[in-house]
Amino acid sequence: MTNKPLGLVFFPAFDWAISKTHPEREERLLYTRDQIVEEGLLDLPEIREYKPRLAEYKDIERVHIGVPDLSSLLTDAHLVSAGSVITAAESFMKGETSRAFALSRPPGHHAMRMVHGTRGFCTVNVEAIMIEYLRQYYGIKKVAIVDTDVHHGDGTQDIFYHDPDTLFISFHQDGRTLYPGTGFMDEMGGPGALCSTVNLPLPPGTGDEGLHYLLDHLIKPLLSDFKPDIIINSAGQDNHYSDPLANMKITAQGYARLADKLKADIAVLEGGYSIEEALPYVNVGIILAMAGLDYSKVVEPDLASLDLRQPEKNTLYIKKLVSDWQMIWSQRDKLKAAAIQKTGDFWQRRKSIYYDDSGIRESQQEKVRLCPKCHGFMTIATESEGYPSGYKSAFAAVITRNACPACAKAAYDAVWQAKKENKFQHYFVQDKQQDVLERLS
Amino acid sequence: MWLGIDVGGTFTDAVIIDKGEIIHQVKTPTTHDDLLQGILEALDQVLREKTNAEFERISLSTTIVTNALIQGKLDQVALLAVSGPGIDITDKTPVKPHLLAGYIDHRGRETAKVAVEELEGICCQSTKNSIFAVSGKFAVRNPEQEIEIAHYLQEHVNPKHITLGSKIAGTLNFLRRTNTAYYNAAVWQTFEDFAAAIEDALVQRHITAPVYMLKADGGTLPLETAKELPVEAVFTGPAASVLGIMAMSKISVPAVSLDIGGTTTDIALWKDGGPLFAGRGASIDGYPTSVRAFRLKSVGIGGDSLVQRVNGQIKVGPMRLGPAMAFGGNAPTVTDALLALGLISHGDKNLALQAMEKVALPGVTLAETARQAAEAAAEEICRAIQAMLDDQAAEPVYRVEDIIHEARLQPELVVGVGGGAMGLVSLVAKRLKLGYEVPPNAMVANAVGAAVAKPTMAITVRVDTEQGRYTVAELSISKPLPQRKFNLQDTRELAANYLTARAKRAGITADKIEELYTEEFNIVRGFQTVGKIITCSLQIKPDVLAYLGNEGRNHHD
Ligand SMILES: [Zn+2]
Ligand SMILES: [Zn+2]
Repeated sequence: MTNKPLGLVFFPAFDWAISKTHPEREERLLYTRDQIVEEGLLDLPEIREYKPRLAEYKDIERVHIGVPDLSSLLTDAHLVSAGSVITAAESFMKGETSRAFALSRPPGHHAMRMVHGTRGFCTVNVEAIMIEYLRQYYGIKKVAIVDTDVHHGDGTQDIFYHDPDTLFISFHQDGRTLYPGTGFMDEMGGPGALCSTVNLPLPPGTGDEGLHYLLDHLIKPLLSDFKPDIIINSAGQDNHYSDPLANMKITAQGYARLADKLKADIAVLEGGYSIEEALPYVNVGIILAMAGLDYSKVVEPDLASLDLRQPEKNTLYIKKLVSDWQMIWSQRDKLKAAAIQKTGDFWQRRKSIYYDDSGIRESQQEKVRLCPKCHGFMTIATESEGYPSGYKSAFAAVITRNACPACAKAAYDAVWQAKKENKFQHYFVQDKQQDVLERLS
Repeated sequence: MWLGIDVGGTFTDAVIIDKGEIIHQVKTPTTHDDLLQGILEALDQVLREKTNAEFERISLSTTIVTNALIQGKLDQVALLAVSGPGIDITDKTPVKPHLLAGYIDHRGRETAKVAVEELEGICCQSTKNSIFAVSGKFAVRNPEQEIEIAHYLQEHVNPKHITLGSKIAGTLNFLRRTNTAYYNAAVWQTFEDFAAAIEDALVQRHITAPVYMLKADGGTLPLETAKELPVEAVFTGPAASVLGIMAMSKISVPAVSLDIGGTTTDIALWKDGGPLFAGRGASIDGYPTSVRAFRLKSVGIGGDSLVQRVNGQIKVGPMRLGPAMAFGGNAPTVTDALLALGLISHGDKNLALQAMEKVALPGVTLAETARQAAEAAAEEICRAIQAMLDDQAAEPVYRVEDIIHEARLQPELVVGVGGGAMGLVSLVAKRLKLGYEVPPNAMVANAVGAAVAKPTMAITVRVDTEQGRYTVAELSISKPLPQRKFNLQDTRELAANYLTARAKRAGITADKIEELYTEEFNIVRGFQTVGKIITCSLQIKPDVLAYLGNEGRNHHD
């Protein structure tokens, strides 16, 4: 293993922007490119650069349902970005690389299963697409995702909320102080997957010290308990002290040491908008750490002049957060059994989702079958209103990979029934057993 | 009348070209211990046989730099690196660098100052006549710290030579520039001595024609200019061959060229009438450099490659035991197989058939055995061509457009040159289902390439309108912009002016300027566009002074 290189898919999408002055614009990875090329990283035998392939719609439909369809919501850049992550993951799965890093844009962790538009700069969830690809083609089962972006990875959480085989751990700046306003401790997964969603909201001003305390005392132990087949890092870089969109105090060294300790098999760039002061150094730090090279000299030029100690109250808060979660985690089986017992056959919730980049408001009703024989199925009724997209609605069912015949049939029946009642514009079945997204008409 | 001299591994070839024709050629043994001796021998032979020769120019493709590098005959160089934050380069350069304080960031802003105390320490260890290489991270965005260090050295130790990394190449890649600056400094004296000896020898022979040196990028530089950039004269053999092919074949379709030698075949790819360049620079002794070179792949198959039977299968190359049996050798070779097949006519066919007998299985004819051997050689070359095309298609690109509209190179023609095994070209072409050409005089392609190669030169201008500055690294220029508003077209014009002026100073005409690379980005801060970053690299592209006459040119479909 040790002699294989790090697989790097670098795709800065220099000709793509959400809009001219949007944070997701051509310039975002320009200075990162400058630093990576100037350092000569792409010449090192410890690093192998890959050209991304294009993702196919089939790969995306394994995760997403687009309303009215995906092709009207996506650009070519999304196909390349999703393809970058798949290329990185495949280099690892084929044994060509020791680990892989998809340093590509646009990002994905705010994109949920149902897609009406773009939110939090994300349209499709590139990590989730890659994970389901690996499950389909490489027989991967248990996946752990550690989301180290400053924003709550609400899209990834949504997609895997009822999947007990996916452990989703997200630390982020407290949702009361930052977009998207979710990711509180009590969002722990559906009853059938309780405690496989772990949210760790952090107070503004948290620095390297607090982050690494969390990593050493909670995240690493959780990962070793869960025993995943593969570890994914949603490697957002907006916890950096210079990020314009958030208020944390993490340094390039803090991120590089995180990558070193986490030892993710596959890392995927998410956010990070301090494009000059942070990204060049954070990315070089992560690349060197993942490649097993010395990263101790990767230090921001202005670091010496700054005081980045975190407030004492953050330290105390994080210690309590860790001990609270240690308690919950130790009782997870009992808690899960109790939740299932209490819920009965179906669990449901209403959600309101805002697409800030598209100006769309969506309301969803999610209904999950808790089946004693399988992971069940789920139906989603969705309606959205926006300008210029207008009113859109759909009804869909998701059949899990190990659904029993009764659940698979019930899922189809539910969609046919909704179609008969004719309250929606579009009807879908996302059937993971057959590996198809079927449009009923 | 142009004289081209190519110093090869075995022979030094010289050709005289006049009005697009080779009017004379000579061949002398290469003198590895003293290259100059063999070169002058070739020159004197030319002068004896062509007493009325009046040369307009003399150009040389020599192994002087390559040999010095391969044999480790390098001068001691103090390598000073301003490496700043980032990767630790201590064990990544050919010699251990002195790491100095100071930093220029990606926008060319000084974020840490050079510390003079450190330089004092280094100067104490240096003697007069020391040689230095100075390289700073992002010095191509602002060369001032490199210049500051050079000034200090000049004032305090009066060094014999200083190479600056930013003057070597205007493109990003600190590690490559640092390695290149080191090698340039390390061969500087060797090349200086060689150039002086050449100049002396020409004066003695009353030759006043200007002398040009071939570079790895297939261009030439006047000897005087080459003295400052001797590292560019590395690996000129393959470059000379590619230029020779250009002059003799005038390739106008996507193509593959083969230079088939005794033990190896060098493959190049052609597009839009020119050979493709390697994505980055050449490697010297395993160290990546920024020396521009053609995209070449060498495969261990040539005319002298040994043909043997291993586990019942015919195996060809990469070993060589000696010349072909048809030319008095002791073991069967690819040349023997080709001669036995009738694909070539030079040599003793009976001996070639005897060679095939050594590897023939009972009940298999000698012709069939020869066919198997020749096909095995062709297959090996075809595999290398495919790998090269795959590598080219897998080269990362950074724009969505370039992924969506990916264009894989589809060769339409095979062109073959070189002394070894010309018969192989037809077999390779047949396997690839392509037509092929073997230009006449293909045996002296390298010397022809040297004779007709035009000068080349490159320049990179980077404009940052938010800072109101621009940089031309190769010229050590970092200046305020003439006006606040500056667009891509302005940048192109600025770059073209600098390139033309630089060329003129070196005695080169900048007639065919080609855009190597451009990019343009808006700088947005706080939802406001506050400026532009524009980069434009131009070159006087590799080209030939003349295409050789087309009569006798053999095209096969
Ligand atoms: Zn973020
Ligand atoms: Zn079931």
